[in-house]
Amino acid sequence: MHADAQPCMEPGVETHMGAAAIAAVAAIGMLDYDAELMLRVKDGDGACFGVLLEKHRASVIHFIYRLVQEQAVAEELAQEVFLRVYRSRSSYEATAKFKTWLFRIASHLALNWLRDEKHERGQERLDDASADLPVRQVSDRRPTVEQELVYAVRLREVRLAVAALPEKQRTAVLLHKYEEMPYAQIAKVLECSESAVKSLLYRAYETLRARLAHMEST
Amino acid sequence: MNCPIQSRDPEKLVAYAAGALDPESARALEQHLMGCADCRSMVADQAAVWQALNAWEAPPVSPDFDERLYRRIEQGVPFSWWERLTRPFRPMSLRQALPLTASAGVLLVAGLLLYHPDYIAPAARSGEIVRANQVERTLDDLDLLRQFGTADSGESAHPDAR
Repeated sequence: MHADAQPCMEPGVETHMGAAAIAAVAAIGMLDYDAELMLRVKDGDGACFGVLLEKHRASVIHFIYRLVQEQAVAEELAQEVFLRVYRSRSSYEATAKFKTWLFRIASHLALNWLRDEKHERGQERLDDASADLPVRQVSDRRPTVEQELVYAVRLREVRLAVAALPEKQRTAVLLHKYEEMPYAQIAKVLECSESAVKSLLYRAYETLRARLAHMEST
Repeated sequence: MNCPIQSRDPEKLVAYAAGALDPESARALEQHLMGCADCRSMVADQAAVWQALNAWEAPPVSPDFDERLYRRIEQGVPFSWWERLTRPFRPMSLRQALPLTASAGVLLVAGLLLYHPDYIAPAARSGEIVRANQVERTLDDLDLLRQFGTADSGESAHPDAR
């Protein structure tokens, strides 16, 4: 049992955790700490949901943001992701890693949103998305106006290149690059084979190399 | 492009550019890179892509994200059809729900008892019995009258016989 599990564990919770739940955790081969927390949420320990939210909030929002490229939409969809997690607690089964399940929900919601919005918006929306630019860390040496401009241009180019990728390739790249997921886990999120993921990533990076490799010298 | 790595194992080059290859495999690949211009070029381009993607920071999360989420959870916005159906009863406490359930139960039982098409009230049944007795008695009375009538007419039919 993980020592970090203590903050969300009320006295006696462990004994309340059903035998079926424990068997389910054992069935996934190793104790996926998040799955264990989710099983406690299932058993009525609401504090464990807070721990899961704290742990995955930023990565889920950032993942959705890079898919849909609108911060307000990303937060709204992330709310829906965590709501779904909370509401499906009673039927939760630890058959896969919690993170895989979480990102499967997130990618489904984000891709559905993109499909719904596709007819209404084009890539030109990226042009006026400057409000979503991240607040850069202020260091001792403040960036000059010119550096800020170069950064904005580079960022726009990266965003356009990623946005131009087909949905599945884009999702695979984001999971691989930013979530550092192995091929097998990406395959489970995207519900495809591992070799399909390799192919998706190969084609995606080939396209990105063609569009972004020149940025090396800038 | 005749390089066996590029044609069979390109993800190794991607992993190397990302710094995700284990040290042993990385050393072996570096040996290969020294003699393969195609792979060197691909690794350089991939490293540039990696760097460009690193520059893409996501905006910070709104400070009220959790608060909004917990509010939505508390409000219990219906999700499934079942939740939507049962939602009006969910905020109700047991103390509130019990009298309502009891009243509904009483009404249901009363309704079932009252709505019984084959049911015959005892009063109505006794009424019918009374009516049948009356009819029988009336028929008996008519018989008697008929007999009396026959006797009268018999006597008057032979007045001279006396």
